[in-house]
Amino acid sequence: MIQFESVTKKYPSGHLALDNISLKIESGEFVFIVGSSGAGKSTLLKLITREISPTTGRILINSEDIFKIPKSKIPILRRRIGTVFQDFKLLLTRTVFENVAMPLEVLSKNSSEIEKAVSGTLEKVGMLDKANNFPLQLAGGEIQRTSIARAIIAKPEVLLADEPTGDLDPKNSQGVVELLEKINKEDKTTVIMATHNAQIVNHFKKRVVTLESGKIVNDQKEGKYETG
Amino acid sequence: MIKRKVSMKQAKDALKLIRRSPYQALAAALAMSLTFFVSSIFILLIIGGQIVLNYIEQRPQVIAFFKDDTNESRILEISKEVESSGLTKEVKYVSKEEALAIYKERNKDEPLLLESVTADFLPASIDISVNRAQDIDEITKLVKDKPEVERIITPENLIEQLVKWTRTIRIGGIAFVSTLTGVSFLIIIMVVGMRIALRRDEISIMSLVGATRWYIARPFFIEGALYGLIGASIAVFLTFSLLLFYSPNIQEFLGPIQIFPVPPLFFLYLWLGEVAAAIVIGVLGAAIALYRYLKIR
Repeated sequence: MIQFESVTKKYPSGHLALDNISLKIESGEFVFIVGSSGAGKSTLLKLITREISPTTGRILINSEDIFKIPKSKIPILRRRIGTVFQDFKLLLTRTVFENVAMPLEVLSKNSSEIEKAVSGTLEKVGMLDKANNFPLQLAGGEIQRTSIARAIIAKPEVLLADEPTGDLDPKNSQGVVELLEKINKEDKTTVIMATHNAQIVNHFKKRVVTLESGKIVNDQKEGKYETG
Repeated sequence: MIKRKVSMKQAKDALKLIRRSPYQALAAALAMSLTFFVSSIFILLIIGGQIVLNYIEQRPQVIAFFKDDTNESRILEISKEVESSGLTKEVKYVSKEEALAIYKERNKDEPLLLESVTADFLPASIDISVNRAQDIDEITKLVKDKPEVERIITPENLIEQLVKWTRTIRIGGIAFVSTLTGVSFLIIIMVVGMRIALRRDEISIMSLVGATRWYIARPFFIEGALYGLIGASIAVFLTFSLLLFYSPNIQEFLGPIQIFPVPPLFFLYLWLGEVAAAIVIGVLGAAIALYRYLKIR
C-alpha cells in the first residue's frame, strides 16, 4: 500500500507542485493520475521513487516512511518499483535484450538467469522477435513495450508509468495501457499511471485521481477524466 | 534464439568505456607512462649515484703522510686514536718499506724512476677509509692537528660533489616526479569526469532501476586502475629497453665501477612498485572525479 500523508512539494524556484495532498493506493490497484501539464502528476511519481523529497508530509510504502530510509538503502527501495517514462529512457547503444536485462545486471544475476527472465518478459510484452534490435530500429509502440519490459523484469511491487502514451498514436497507446492492465491483473502489480489522455482513461474505467494545481480535486473508482 | 550479450563483468564495461573514446584513454595512459618513465630514470640515477658513491667510499679517502723522524710506535698510536673515533671503516699503516713496494709496483715499467729510490725517500703513512663520506672533514681535522703529520691527501672535493649531486638529483627528482604525478592525477580526473558526463543518461537509468552507488562507480575505478597499470608497464618496459641499449656506453663512462648486469629482479620490483603506485593514483583520481561529478538522486 502506498500512502501520501499531507504531502506538499515546493520547488526551490517557488513553484508549488503538490499542495497538502493525502492519498491511499492499495496493493494491486490500477490508478490513473490525471491532470493538465504542471498539475503535479510527475512530481507525485518522483516522490514515490525518492528522486525528490517532499517539503512537508510523509510518503509510506507498506507503512514504512520512505524518507526515513537511509540513503544507502534507496537502491533496495527502487528495486521494488518499476518505472516507465514518456521519453522511454532506453540506452540507444544497447539492444532491446541488453536494455531489458539492466535491472537484473544491477542485481548481479548470472547470465542464464538473465537470459531466461529477459526472454520470458519480452515474450509477455510481445517483443521477443525484436530482442537483438537497437531502440532506433523500433517503432514508438515497440520502444515503449521495451521500456515496460525493463520496468517489470525484476518483478516490482509497484509499476509507475509517467505519461507512457504521450508520444504514441491512439492505437499504440491503447496497446500499451492494455499491457499495463495485463501486468496489473496477472502479476498483481500495483500500477500508477500519470496521463492527460482522457480517451484512454475513460476507456479503461479504473480509479482516477485528478490533480489540479497540485491539489486532488477528484478521486473516483471507475472514474472519468473530464477535460471540460 | 536470443544471442547472449549480457556482460556481467564490469571490467568489460571499463574496457568498453576506454574503447568508446580511445583518444582520452590514450592521453591518460601516456601521461601515466611519462610520469613513471621519468620516475624510473630518477630512481636509476639515484641508485647509480649511490653505487658510485659507495665505490668511492670504499677506497681510502684520507692519506696522512708522516715526517721522517716519526717512529713506528707513534704512528700506530695515532692510527689507534683515529680508529677509536668510530668514524672509520679501516685504518691501514703503510710503512716506508711498504710504500717503496707500492712505488715499485706502480712504476715497474719505468726503470728510470726506480733507480736510486730507497725506502728512506718515501714517507710512512696511514690510509683511512671512512664509514660515511660526510665524516672525511672530521677525520682530516683530527689527523691534521698532529705535529708528526707532514701532509694529508683527501679526495674530499670529489666526494662532496658526488654527495651534493646525489642529493640534488634526489630533490630534483622528487619535485619533478611530484609535478608529473599531479598532472597525471588531473588528467585522470578530467578523463573519468568526461566519461561520467557522457554516461549521464545511463547512470540515471541505472540508479532508477536500483543500482547501488558502488555498482555505478566500479567501472570508473577499474578504468582508473587500468590507466595506472598500462602507463606504469609502458614506462618500465621503456626504461628497461633504454638501459639495455645504452649499457655499453654507461659502463664505459663509469670505468671500473661495475653496475651491469642489472639483476632482472630489480626490474620486477620496479614494475611492481610502479604499477602499485600508478594504480593508487588512477583509483584516487577516479574517486575524486566520482565524488565531484557523479550526482545520483
